[in-house]
Amino acid sequence: MATVIERRDPLTQSKGVEAGYAMTALRWPAQALLLRPLTAAELAGPPLSGGGVLRRLAPVRGDLAGHGEKRAIGQLIHLRARVVDEDGAPVRGAAVEIWHCNAAGKYIHPNDSHDAPADPNFYGAARMVADDDGMVELRTIKPGAYPVPDSGGWWRPPHVHFSVWGRAWLSRLVTQMFFPGEPLNERDAILNAVREPQARAQCIARLAPAGQGPENALVYEYQLVVRGRNASPELR
Amino acid sequence: MKRLVPTAEMTLGPFFPREFAQDAADLTRLEGRAVPGEPIEISGRVVQGDGAPVDNLVLEIWQAGPDGRHDNPAFLGWGRAATDAGGVYRFRTVLPGAPKGRLAHVSFCLLYSGLMRQLQTVMFFERGADPVLDAVPEKLRDRLIARKTGAGSYRFDIRLRGGDETPFFDD
Repeated sequence: MATVIERRDPLTQSKGVEAGYAMTALRWPAQALLLRPLTAAELAGPPLSGGGVLRRLAPVRGDLAGHGEKRAIGQLIHLRARVVDEDGAPVRGAAVEIWHCNAAGKYIHPNDSHDAPADPNFYGAARMVADDDGMVELRTIKPGAYPVPDSGGWWRPPHVHFSVWGRAWLSRLVTQMFFPGEPLNERDAILNAVREPQARAQCIARLAPAGQGPENALVYEYQLVVRGRNASPELR
Repeated sequence: MKRLVPTAEMTLGPFFPREFAQDAADLTRLEGRAVPGEPIEISGRVVQGDGAPVDNLVLEIWQAGPDGRHDNPAFLGWGRAATDAGGVYRFRTVLPGAPKGRLAHVSFCLLYSGLMRQLQTVMFFERGADPVLDAVPEKLRDRLIARKTGAGSYRFDIRLRGGDETPFFDD
């Protein structure tokens, strides 16, 4: 089944250099990106049915919250993320990487200089595989907000990083998921780089009605749409 | 059928877990076995707009196997590396064959703090007729040709911005 990749509406994506995010002006290319014809090489990808990138990357930790005395500090949440293509069809077998900071806004990373406490029971990195419905479910705690160094007062709203593979090399998606109702969402230079309101709203998870989660956890639902449609003969 | 809008890409950020970029840069082995083909090394240095090397930038590659195919189950043409403090990355892989209608090449996807979207570029081993290389202005094409630095050793430096900026593709 061949994959078709169509061009995106630029308003649904960052334009590259963002006024509120100084580092983009040092790293995004100054020259316009080039258009190229897409060949089989760009439209193929590590075959999901054969394990895809997971033949090289091992799954790690579907649970970041811990239990009992080893329970991480913070509100217990379940993230239910579904990976679909542009037709809305689940991408079964998609690898999904997830990482986020602890409840105090501190990452387990040597480059994080933020003066917030580490949590010995929290390590914020997981790698999972989407099931037949395209779903992954992560038990974790809600991440905190944190200030961006040397930014003149920019605080990142609570967010969760996602890295996802679809069927094609060009389906690769690295993004961030935001939480509903957070005042810092309104000013965040990264979330607001998405200028089209509907596309921006897509980056914010939905809080499921309370009482639905295991252990009375709050459940957040989120959909990741990776690029690509199926080129079945009926659609052509 | 209604087309859904692909989720907006956003920056990898500065805190991509180091463990995620470990042990994935050797394509010459798969699930404990050596893969067929001629082993090569591809390395290079990545610098930003002011010429400074970038630390912990993630590079993912995608290439055909020695047979020019992307679907040979004995080979996985995907790998990941991260730059060190000197901006240097290194892959071990096998020399790709030329896919139908293309020159032999290695596709690169760059992910990093300050990059709001993935940057796509392509490394070639030599000049020649190729629909993707042909889409690059003539005077910039040499920037996509790897330099052979020894037997089985190729160097492909990448400049994100400014000066001899690497050509990148918008898809």
